[in-house]
Amino acid sequence: MSTQPLSPMTLPVDDNINPYSFCIDLHGEWFMQKGKMIAYYGQMRFESLAATSLSAMVAVRFSSPLYSRDWIVAAGQGKLILGDRGYDLNAYDLDNGNLTIRAANLSAFQPSLSLKQSIVPGFVTLIGSGKFVASSNGPVMFVEPPLRVDPDALVGWADCPSPSHHYDANWMSGFLQAAQGFFGRNSGEERQFDFTGTGTVLMQSSEAAVHDPSVLRNIESQVPLLGQPDLRTLHTRIGQQLQQSQQ
Amino acid sequence: MVAQLRTNGHRVVEAHLNGDSVKALTGSMVAYEGKVQFKKASFGGGEGVMKTLKRKATGESLDLMECVGQGVVYLAQMGSYIELIALAGDKLSVESSALLAYESTLSTNVTFAGMHGMSAGQGLTTTSVSGHGAVAILSDGPAICLEVSPQYPVTVDPQAYLGSSGQLQQGFVTGVNWKSLIGEGSGEPFSLQFSGTGRVWIQPAER
Amino acid sequence: MGFEKMNSKVLKVPVGPGREVLARRGAMLGYTGDVRFSPVRSGGGSIGGSLGSQLSGESAAMMVAQGSGEVFYGFQGLTYAVVDLSGAEMLTVESNRLLVHDANLNSAIVPLTAQQSGGGFRAGLRSAATGAMTGQGMFTSQLSGVGSVAVLAHGEVLELSVRADKPVIVDPQAFVAARGQVQVSLGANVSFKEARSGEMFQLTATGQGTVYVQASERKF
Repeated sequence: MSTQPLSPMTLPVDDNINPYSFCIDLHGEWFMQKGKMIAYYGQMRFESLAATSLSAMVAVRFSSPLYSRDWIVAAGQGKLILGDRGYDLNAYDLDNGNLTIRAANLSAFQPSLSLKQSIVPGFVTLIGSGKFVASSNGPVMFVEPPLRVDPDALVGWADCPSPSHHYDANWMSGFLQAAQGFFGRNSGEERQFDFTGTGTVLMQSSEAAVHDPSVLRNIESQVPLLGQPDLRTLHTRIGQQLQQSQQ
Repeated sequence: MVAQLRTNGHRVVEAHLNGDSVKALTGSMVAYEGKVQFKKASFGGGEGVMKTLKRKATGESLDLMECVGQGVVYLAQMGSYIELIALAGDKLSVESSALLAYESTLSTNVTFAGMHGMSAGQGLTTTSVSGHGAVAILSDGPAICLEVSPQYPVTVDPQAYLGSSGQLQQGFVTGVNWKSLIGEGSGEPFSLQFSGTGRVWIQPAER
Repeated sequence: MGFEKMNSKVLKVPVGPGREVLARRGAMLGYTGDVRFSPVRSGGGSIGGSLGSQLSGESAAMMVAQGSGEVFYGFQGLTYAVVDLSGAEMLTVESNRLLVHDANLNSAIVPLTAQQSGGGFRAGLRSAATGAMTGQGMFTSQLSGVGSVAVLAHGEVLELSVRADKPVIVDPQAFVAARGQVQVSLGANVSFKEARSGEMFQLTATGQGTVYVQASERKF
């Protein structure tokens, strides 16, 4: 009938409790995104990256000013349970490797890994050896290239080259012929990310991307740079998008 | 034979009625077989506590209905996971908006634990369920049950808290300033700390 | 036939010559191989012109996938149930709950305002406004033939058998699909005393077959 109770002795060590929650056996530090802690046993402190006493370690391991305000350091001893808005959580081991992952999908990682901001907007790169925890809308699927993926379903990729854009020429001409009247509506059938080479692509089970607050910050920071005509164009574009998303 | 709650998969609970009743959230019936009537019922605790209980996130009213008759009622709520807890003379405190259904042999009472600096809304409303019988509670994702003992107290995010039982002292840890206040999940400015002996149930998501 | 479950939210479907599939627009998450996607009108032309485009939100646009490869389908993190039709029975489902199905299946679209009798969705309603009140879509698809259909749901899908002596009453917002010789009629909810406005209607399924019910009263 009901779930068996867990205690600090029986909780999994650096492993999932169920598909949506993960238990870190903390003895030292872990980087964690804000808001992912749901419970803990033991003595720990949680400090934002700017205010932490561990600033030297942070400076070396976390070089992404765009995302630093979303992250904290968890330091201490005990069992730390993570959950993220009911998304699927999974841990992966990186062994002297590199993985580029959508920033919004990265929940926590060990400080033996370094985080860098990727030139692909919205993504960060983890380098080194260590464990990290990723969240996704529906379980993650690992697929090898060659593969084309709906950008909203993409979580990340390891080892293979960065993807390129692919516009389906057949779809575009079919669309014009059928005159369906879908204005500016972007679905996965029209443009995809194209992966080639050797490596692994991580896909989530939904084209509803995990919410990333940095995208809005990025756009907001560029608005003052726009002149009147561009502002009006942006205004119209936003109006169209809002209408589309309400259908 | 007394009415019984049974799980069917993770997100549906069946109420097997044999001339008697179970109480459940209005609107949670997805299907039924047999001859069943659904009547309006009320949460215990009287009018003084809170006239209308509301669901914390959406502010919708929570009403209870009584399902009575002969047959099977299939209960579910928004695709949430359901945790079935059996009480044998003890008391379960449940975050009010997480209570889905309970066998009518149980009695309930509602208490309001105060605002504690929470954002406009409901504060902490707790329903206590006691007696002998089964209670079905809602969980966003499979519920996790954590033991509490004097050697290991536990600290919990209030938005993940579902319920607790046993001899527990509940405290509030304030000054948690690391919770993000922008975008998804505007966290509450405190955590719940439980000490003593008992159990705490949490969901792997913030409400 | 050939639909492979990746997890509760994603299906992997092989596509080949003579094995095309029709899927809801926006449900393609990724693909391998050489696959082309083209839009089609739903229901093989039975709904067209201005009516079809006005109500395009309900009768969701479909895409045909052709070529040779495998396609990953999923829609907004919703779960799905796969029904394999053997040729002897019909599946009745709201058109916008269709995730993907074999293109060789016969599919007819029935708007709520033009009800057939004898099998299928016999609602006994006279106006589309009632469709809006019950949360039911305005278009229902009837599929038959030999092939597989994946239908969308919010939460798990319960399969309840319907027998002549055992009808099943379903909350209209939780109704996913019906299969077999099942008549589904919409009526007033007499079993609710002092019901809230949301509970005024119920669907009664009678006959012989299966109804699929989702563990949620939210019509996505």
